[in-house]
Amino acid sequence: MSRLLSEEEYRKTKAFKIKRWYRGEKDPYVGAVELKPQKPFTEDINTMKHRVRDEAILKRKIYDIEHNRKLQIFSKFYRAVSVLFVFTLIGILLYMVSYLPPVGNAANPDNNEVATKYIEDAMKDTGAVNIVTGMILDYRAFDTLGESNVLFIATCTVLILLRVDNRSKKEEEEANDRLYEPKNDIILQKVAFFLVPMIIIFGIYVILNGHLSPGGGFSGGAIIGSGLILYVNAFGFKKIERFFTQKTYKWICFAALLFYCLAKTYSFYCGAHHLETGIPLGTPGAILSSGLILPLNICVGMVVACTMYAFYAMFRKGGF
Amino acid sequence: MTALLWIRFLVGIILLLCGIVVFGIELFGVFRFEYVLNRMHAAAMGDTLGIALSMGGLIVLCGLNFITLKMILVVVFLWFASPVSSHVLARFEVATNEELDKECDVEALSEEKQSERG
Amino acid sequence: MNSENVALETAFEIAMTVFPVILALMVFLCLIRAIKGPRIADRIVAINMMGTLTMVIIAILAVKMNEGYLVDICIIYAMISFLAVTLLTKVYMGVYAERKKKEAEKHDSTTVD
Repeated sequence: MSRLLSEEEYRKTKAFKIKRWYRGEKDPYVGAVELKPQKPFTEDINTMKHRVRDEAILKRKIYDIEHNRKLQIFSKFYRAVSVLFVFTLIGILLYMVSYLPPVGNAANPDNNEVATKYIEDAMKDTGAVNIVTGMILDYRAFDTLGESNVLFIATCTVLILLRVDNRSKKEEEEANDRLYEPKNDIILQKVAFFLVPMIIIFGIYVILNGHLSPGGGFSGGAIIGSGLILYVNAFGFKKIERFFTQKTYKWICFAALLFYCLAKTYSFYCGAHHLETGIPLGTPGAILSSGLILPLNICVGMVVACTMYAFYAMFRKGGF
Repeated sequence: MTALLWIRFLVGIILLLCGIVVFGIELFGVFRFEYVLNRMHAAAMGDTLGIALSMGGLIVLCGLNFITLKMILVVVFLWFASPVSSHVLARFEVATNEELDKECDVEALSEEKQSERG
Repeated sequence: MNSENVALETAFEIAMTVFPVILALMVFLCLIRAIKGPRIADRIVAINMMGTLTMVIIAILAVKMNEGYLVDICIIYAMISFLAVTLLTKVYMGVYAERKKKEAEKHDSTTVD
């Protein structure tokens, strides 16, 4: 509604029409364009016979291995080549193994100066007391980005493979909420009421202390995910869908991965192992220290927690 | 001062030993009893008492600091969780065993309980 | 004074080495129960007990090595074993009820035919 124009005048303006079209209140094509309803598809008996015969011929041509010489030869050839290929691969790998240095040699590549450099310089460079976190989220942040993306892609793939497409079955399952399982165990519910917040708070503690003590995004995320699974187990899918649906999952993962990319892409493109972010590193040992590691830990933790819960929900119910 | 340290050490060790003895009794019960529901009785009791005693011993040995606070959290968590897991297990056993009458005396179940057993 | 402190420390070391060994033997016995157990519930009880014993071992190690973060793992262990018991029993109950229902339907259909 406009404040300057009256109601009548506002209805004539273009802005109002566009708004009306955008909201879907009025379709401008209805009544203005001649529409022909489509005929429903029907097949008469002759064309059906043709189609069935064609399909039968095609099937016989392709799948009848006993009378198809070409196919026979090809299958034998295929087996021989696959065996040959596997043996060649094994041979190449064994040949490569003979070039590896002996175990325990002091001059091996795993005893070189890289490890010493990390141990000596990590705290000064990254500001993280926990060297492992400093390594995976600062020196090797690209690797961790790939791992988070793998989790997201795995969830997408499982969603494609396992989603219950049959709508009637899905509705039935939703109505009964885990069809055959026992529901509403009051003892479990009362205890979950206390334990779930405890578990989730502990997970948040592990994530936030990722740069100070062992733990970090992956383990803390797994703990939060197990808390969510316990909640589902006690209260059912209907309760959790009030705050966690597929949409929430998508947005959380999207935001976390996007933030990760934006925060780190510059150093990825420049190829530097470590670049100044401009954020002061702070005193080592304080919660608010070590620059970007804390927000990146939070991002990884969110992605892992959502993925844990999503896997459980999809294997239990086929979609969430 | 040294005497005090020794007393603290002995109290802690005795508490820890009590916890381990309780665990041993629990294990004995688990092997001695015949049926799951009886075994579960031994296991659940032993778990709650044993973890409390051994964590108490460790707390006495360690003195009060952040680590002991976490140990108290472990005990609180287990006291919440262990009875519930025993309850869930017993329910599972009763629901899936078709020949429960052979193992132990069961009163005749009422109609709604029968339906709950599924 | 000093020699007494040394004696205390050696006693502490010995106790903290002997207790985990005893507990580890108990874990082994629990494993035997888990393999032998005739019913599924037997196995789950044994696994739950193994979890508790492992928690005590980890706590003793945390005190012995004076590393506070090991107790975190203890809490996680308690959480995971509780979650495992509730989830396993629930899933097994669901599977059992589903199989029961399917068998009943099969039985009905064969008798009708």
